[in-house]
Amino acid sequence: SICLLSKDLSLIVRSLICFSFSLFFWVDHIMNLPLRTYRSMPTHGIGRWRYLLPKQPKKRREKQPMKPILAATDTAYGSLNVKLSGYDMTLVEHYTQYIHNLCNRLGIRVAESYALPTKSTEVMLMQEKGTKMYVDAVLKTHERVVQVNSLNAALCPVFMEVLLKNQPEGVQLSVKEHTEADYHSRFKARPELEGLMAQINQ
Amino acid sequence: MAAPCGRMASRPLFQLLSCFNRTAVGNAGIRQFSTASVCRATLQAKSVTERASSPWTLMAAVCLQRLPVISADCNPIEQQFKDMILQMELEKSVLSDHELQLLEDAERMRRKQADDYDSDEEEGRDGQEIMLAQDLEDAWEQKLKSFQPAPRARADVDKDLTSAQRCLAETLVLLAEQQVGKEKLWLLPQTQWQEGETLRQTAERALDSLPAGYKATFLGNAPCGVYKYKLPKAIRIENTVGTKVFFFKAILSDSAPPKAPKAPLLWLTKSELQRYLKPAYMMKVDRFVLGV
Repeated sequence: SICLLSKDLSLIVRSLICFSFSLFFWVDHIMNLPLRTYRSMPTHGIGRWRYLLPKQPKKRREKQPMKPILAATDTAYGSLNVKLSGYDMTLVEHYTQYIHNLCNRLGIRVAESYALPTKSTEVMLMQEKGTKMYVDAVLKTHERVVQVNSLNAALCPVFMEVLLKNQPEGVQLSVKEHTEADYHSRFKARPELEGLMAQINQ
Repeated sequence: MAAPCGRMASRPLFQLLSCFNRTAVGNAGIRQFSTASVCRATLQAKSVTERASSPWTLMAAVCLQRLPVISADCNPIEQQFKDMILQMELEKSVLSDHELQLLEDAERMRRKQADDYDSDEEEGRDGQEIMLAQDLEDAWEQKLKSFQPAPRARADVDKDLTSAQRCLAETLVLLAEQQVGKEKLWLLPQTQWQEGETLRQTAERALDSLPAGYKATFLGNAPCGVYKYKLPKAIRIENTVGTKVFFFKAILSDSAPPKAPKAPLLWLTKSELQRYLKPAYMMKVDRFVLGV
């Protein structure tokens, strides 16, 4: 009976080991997990090497140069700005996303996709009896830009038509060429710097 | 054997500066449109003196479209979904400033009317509010009641096929009745191509030749479709096998009423085109008229 027991036990142990290995193999194969490290394991941190390198000072991120503005060729337009603006942010945002996805699907190269600062307009009404104006409403104009490079001239009419047909109400669409002035309008004005530069140049 | 398809983008690389507005108020019936052409290269007519004469007569036609002015109505399913989503968003949303102000004012009113009210205990206010939030809301309600929106669809205008203001929720295509050979047919306005001009100029000429002076913006130099018609053997002359018609798309840019109200022009939706166009022609036109 003891030998039977031991045989049973060994069978159970062997089956357990087999099972665990197969389980492990399955897990490893599917999820590509490395051996999990526990901090209480004696070998924790055994492979560290980066702390041995000499300390490098942190580099300040350089100012990104402007992306080159493409010129129009015989068969394609250059850099075009598709500008969306409107009062309702959800509509403008969703339309921008739609245009971006459409360009990805049609193979049109999207250079950049950014938002310009929101402009607030205060609507002031004259009081009925009196000369003072009071604030009636505040309207916020949201603007988004999708910059598109080298749009094929044969694809352009199709693209424009799809854009026009899917334009939501309350959103203004405008397609223009990209210029340096457009690029610089994204940055904040620095009046002190400009003052100093003017002083230097004088 | 060339139809000079504009030398597709070269001859004028027409740099579109276009601005499309979609506003509720404004020119009733049409989208505001403004275009400006920048650096339009002058046409260098490299005239090909040795052009092989083709047996096809070339024509260019314009597919003038009036884009929808108002949003389309929802299906019943779409309406149900929309209502459900609005309800969900309302339930998940947080109170706005105005609503908080309303609650505060109501609270203060309630405290004032209570018997043991001590005005010295009021914090943070240096006097009574001139305009309570509830009064503001009442004033807005009054303004809304006095606002009369224009009707979305008018049945009598919708039935008038010659009007460009019909079916504001759909795109309309212009159809003209023109003399082709012996018979008068309904088709997209077309003219014959002449030597030395691009096909797009021919299409522009076709648009200008219509009695009603429509202003349109052409979307590009490339044609969107082509229709080939072989003449039946009986009337075939030696040189010509038939005609090829190239279609160009244009968008109507103003809603000025036509100068000649009696002209044989129709504005039709895509589903109505089938009744007026020949089947073979309709098959080709169907491919590029978007049913969106």
